[in-house]
Amino acid sequence: MAMPLGLYLSVPFCRTKCSYCNFASDVFSRAVFHRYVDRVCADIENAAGITEQMGGRFERAVDSIYLGGGTPTVLDSPELERLFVTISQNLEVRPGCEITVECAPGTLAPDILETLLHCGVNRVSLGVQSFVDAEAASVGRLHQRTTVLDDIAHLRAAGITNINLDLIAGLPHQTAESWEASLSEAIASGTPHASVYMLEVDEDSRLGRELIAGGTRYHAHFVPDEELTADLYESACQRLDAAGVCQYEISNFARAGYESRHNLKYWIRQPYLGFGLDAHSMLPALDPGVEAVRFSTPDALEEYVAGGPLRCTAVTPQAALEESFFLGLRLTRGVDLDALRAKFGALDGFDSLIAEFASMGLMVREHDLVRLTSRGRLLSNEVFERFISVL
Amino acid sequence: MPMDAAFLRNFAIIAHIDHGKSTLADRLLELTGSLTAREMQAQVLDSMDLERERGITIKAHAVRMMYTAKDGQIYQLNLIDTPGHVDFSYEVSRSLASCEGALLVVDASQGVEAQTLANSYIAINNGLEIIPVINKIDLPSADIARTKEMIEGAVGLDAADAVPISAKTGQGVPDVLEAVVKRVPPPKGNPDNRLQALIFDSWFDPYRGVIVLTRVFEGTLRKGQKIRLWSNGRVFEVETVGVLTPKPVEIGELRAGEVGFFMANMKNVADTKIGDTVTDEANPAIEALPGFEEIKPMVFAGLYTVDAHEHTALREALEKLRLNDASFFYEPESSAALGFGFRCGFLGLLHMEIIQERLEREFGLELITTAPGVRFRITKTDGDVVEVDNPSKWLSQSEIAKVEEPVILATILTNEEYVGGILKLVEEKRGKQKSFEYVSSSRVMLQYELPLNEIVLDFYDRLKTVSRGYASLDYHLSGYWESPMVKLDILVAGDPVDALSIVVHRDFAYERGKALAAKMKELIPRQMFEVAIQASIGAKIIARETVPAIRKNVLAKCYGGDITRKRKLLEKQKEGKKRMKRIGRVDIPQEAFLAVLKVGEGS
Repeated sequence: MAMPLGLYLSVPFCRTKCSYCNFASDVFSRAVFHRYVDRVCADIENAAGITEQMGGRFERAVDSIYLGGGTPTVLDSPELERLFVTISQNLEVRPGCEITVECAPGTLAPDILETLLHCGVNRVSLGVQSFVDAEAASVGRLHQRTTVLDDIAHLRAAGITNINLDLIAGLPHQTAESWEASLSEAIASGTPHASVYMLEVDEDSRLGRELIAGGTRYHAHFVPDEELTADLYESACQRLDAAGVCQYEISNFARAGYESRHNLKYWIRQPYLGFGLDAHSMLPALDPGVEAVRFSTPDALEEYVAGGPLRCTAVTPQAALEESFFLGLRLTRGVDLDALRAKFGALDGFDSLIAEFASMGLMVREHDLVRLTSRGRLLSNEVFERFISVL
Repeated sequence: MPMDAAFLRNFAIIAHIDHGKSTLADRLLELTGSLTAREMQAQVLDSMDLERERGITIKAHAVRMMYTAKDGQIYQLNLIDTPGHVDFSYEVSRSLASCEGALLVVDASQGVEAQTLANSYIAINNGLEIIPVINKIDLPSADIARTKEMIEGAVGLDAADAVPISAKTGQGVPDVLEAVVKRVPPPKGNPDNRLQALIFDSWFDPYRGVIVLTRVFEGTLRKGQKIRLWSNGRVFEVETVGVLTPKPVEIGELRAGEVGFFMANMKNVADTKIGDTVTDEANPAIEALPGFEEIKPMVFAGLYTVDAHEHTALREALEKLRLNDASFFYEPESSAALGFGFRCGFLGLLHMEIIQERLEREFGLELITTAPGVRFRITKTDGDVVEVDNPSKWLSQSEIAKVEEPVILATILTNEEYVGGILKLVEEKRGKQKSFEYVSSSRVMLQYELPLNEIVLDFYDRLKTVSRGYASLDYHLSGYWESPMVKLDILVAGDPVDALSIVVHRDFAYERGKALAAKMKELIPRQMFEVAIQASIGAKIIARETVPAIRKNVLAKCYGGDITRKRKLLEKQKEGKKRMKRIGRVDIPQEAFLAVLKVGEGS
C-alpha cells in the first residue's frame, strides 16, 4: 500500500523581512495575495497532472499538511479557507492528519484563530526566536515576550496544545545568560515541541552579507562568535532534554509522541508535495531505473504566479542511498544499515567511513544502527560531505 | 652597392619604465618613413602581449632605418631596443656592446632612476657616446634644468647639449636624429677581415627555427656561409640574412658594422647563447669578442600543478618555453607535500613572474609556486663544496662547515624624504652601506650590499611601500658572504611540509619562524581536529601556533524539504576541499605555499 503524502504550502508573505531571513519570503502588497492563492489552488487541483508530468507516482492520501512561510497568518480568513477547501476537495485528507500552521507571534487575531480551527489546524509553530525583547527587535521581529505568552494562552484556550516554539542561537546581542532566559521561558511555557536553529551566515540574508563583509549594519558586530553560538546550541540540547523535551533531530526537540510527522518525512525520505513559491516535492519515480524525483517551483514571485516552469531532479539509486545517510543521520535515532541494505543492496565503502568517524568520536555504531554523537551533529556537514559523491 | 661604413650609426635607447622609450622609438620609425602612421600599432617594438601589458621590453630588437640628414646624406641607422629590467642586465650589456652610441632618455618630470643609471654605466664602460634626451617637456611638471642637474650629478655626463623633446607630440624628435648622425661615431671594422659577429639576442619561431640578432664587428656574414659558434663549436650553414625595417627584409649579407638577423636551420636557442661570437668555419677569427658569460639562474623555486594530472602538461609547456628562453632552467623534483613538479631557475623575480604568467596564460595551467630562494654554496666538514638551491636538499647542520650566500650590490635612487624608511628596510635586510650621496639637491643615491636571499622574499614590495613608489632599484651580483644560514621547517600536525621550508639567516630564524607560523594559522582553515603549526630548526621547535578545531558546520533549516539545495551545499564544500592540498590529514590552501612571501607585510 502506498504511503500517504505530506503537503507543504508556502505562503511567502511577511509584514516585515527579518534581517537573518534567507527564504524567498518578502513583503508584498496585499494585491498579489489573491492572485497567489489562485495559482496555488490551481496547482493543487492539477496535482495529479503535475506529478505525472514530473515522472513521479501520484498519491491522493494525505496525513500531514504544513503551511509555512513567510507568515501564513498574514492571509485573511477567506484566502486561508480557500486553500484548505481546495485541498479537501482534491485530495484525501486522512483522519488524524497533522495540520501545522506557522505563525508570527501577534498575528493570531481572533478571526484568524477561528478560521484555523475551522480548517482543522491542530498544530501551531510560533516564530519566537528569542524571549529577550531587545534581541528579537534587533533582527526585526515585531513581537515581545508577552505577545508570545498571550498567543500560547489563546491557542490553548482554543484547544490547540500542540505548539512549537522556534528559537535561534546566535542572534545579535545574545549572551549565555540571555539565552538561558529564553530557554527557561520556552521550557516554562510547557509547549511540547521546540526547534533550535543556529544563525546561518550566508549571502542570502542581509545580516549574513553584512557579517561576511565585516560591517556593522543589522547589529552584525553584536553577533556571537562561532564558539559561543555552538555553546548556546549545546546548552539548549541539555536544558531541553533535562526538561523532557528530547532532541530527535539536529534542530528539533519534542516530548514523547509530539515529534512533527511532517518534518520527519523530509529526513526519512517519505513522499511529499509542495505548492506555492519555492516549494519542493519528492515522490517515488515512475521510471524503474530512478529511485525518486524531486521537483520545485520557481523562487521568484512573478515567475511563479505566471506559471513558470518547475525544476526537476531525478534521484538515482546511488543518490538516494547517499540521501538516506545525510538525511537519516540528522535524526538522533540514526540510520539502520540493515534497512538500507535491504533497499539498496551491499553498502560498499561505507563501513570504513563509519569506522573512521567513529574513531574520531563523531559517530556511534551499534550493530547495524549508526548515529551521530552530539559533536558529530555540530560537525554534521563535515561528515555528510564524505557520504556524497560529486558527479 | 654596400653602404660606406661612414654612414652607419648603431645606437640604443636607455630609459626607465614609462620614461618614453617605446614612444620615442615609434616616433623615430615614423620620421624616417620606416612605418607609415597607418601601420603603427602603438609601441611597435614591444610585440609580446606581456610586454605591452607591463610596458616593459623583455626581448631585444634591432630596426634598420634610412635617414636623409640635413647634410643631404643618407644614413643607415640601426636602433637596438634593449630589455628594461634588472633581471636582464646581461642581455642589456650585450645589446649595448653592439652599439657605438646611446640615447639616455630621462623623464623631465621624474628625473634619473636607478635602472637608467645602471645601464648608463654599462654604456659608458663600453665606450658608447651618450646623448642625453630630456623627454615629456610638454608636461606642466617638466623641469628641464633640474633634470640636467641630475644627469650631471648622477651619471656624470655633460648635459649641456641634452636634446629636449616630447616623444608624445613629436616636438624636438628630428633633433634627436641629427644628434645621432653628428655625435655617434660610425662603426669601425673591415668587411674583408675574418668574421666576428656578436649574438645579442635570439628567439625560436615555430615555422622558421631560431632567429639570431647579430652585430657584425669584423668581416662579412653571407647567405650560404658555413659558420661556427665560438662557445660550443657547433657549425651551421647560414640560410637567410636580413634586417628588420621593422618588417623582416632579406638581404644577401651583413658587413662589418652592420646589425641584422640570420637563420641557419638551428633548432634550439640554447645553442645561440647571448654574447657568443659567430665566426667563419673555414676561416675563423683568432679570438672571440670580449664579454661572453654563461647566463646563470639566480632565483629558484618549485613549480607544481594544482591538479596532479596536469604534471605532463607542465613538462611539455616548460619544454616549449625553454625553446625560446635558454636563460631559464628546470629539472624534475618531487615534494612529499605537492607531488611531482619542477625545480626552476630564473634570472630574477620578474623573469620568474613572466614564466609563471606565460605557463598559466599560454598553456592554461593552474600552478602552485613555492617560495623563491637562491643558490647557496656549502663547504662540508669533509671539505667538499656543494651548491644547494632547494631547501629540501639542505644538509644536516653537523655536515656543514660553512655556508656562503650570493650578495648583490644594489643601487637605489630616491627622493630625500623616503631615505629614512629605506635605510631601515635595508638594515633589516642585512644590508651593508657602500655609499650615500646626493645626486641633486633632493635626490639621493644609496649603494648597499645585500644578500640576494633577502631581495627575493619581499624586498621590491617593501621598497615600493616605504617609498610610496618613489624609489628605483638596480642590482648586480657582487660576490658571496659567509653567513650562518639555517633551514627553517614548518610542521603541520607534527609532519614537516617540505614545500614550506626556507633557508634563513640564523639571527632572523626565530622571528621569521614565528611570523610564518602565525601566517599559516591565518591561512589554514579550521579542521575537525586541532592542528598544531610549528616552526623548527633541526629538532628544535622555535614557534608554535594552534588552529583550533572547527566547532560547528551544520545546516539547520530544512527549507520546506529542499534537499537538492542541501546536497549542492555539500558538493560545493567538497569541491572546495579538492582545490586544497591534503597533507597528512590536513587540507592546506594554495596560498599557504607562498605565505613566506607575505610574512613581512605591514611590519
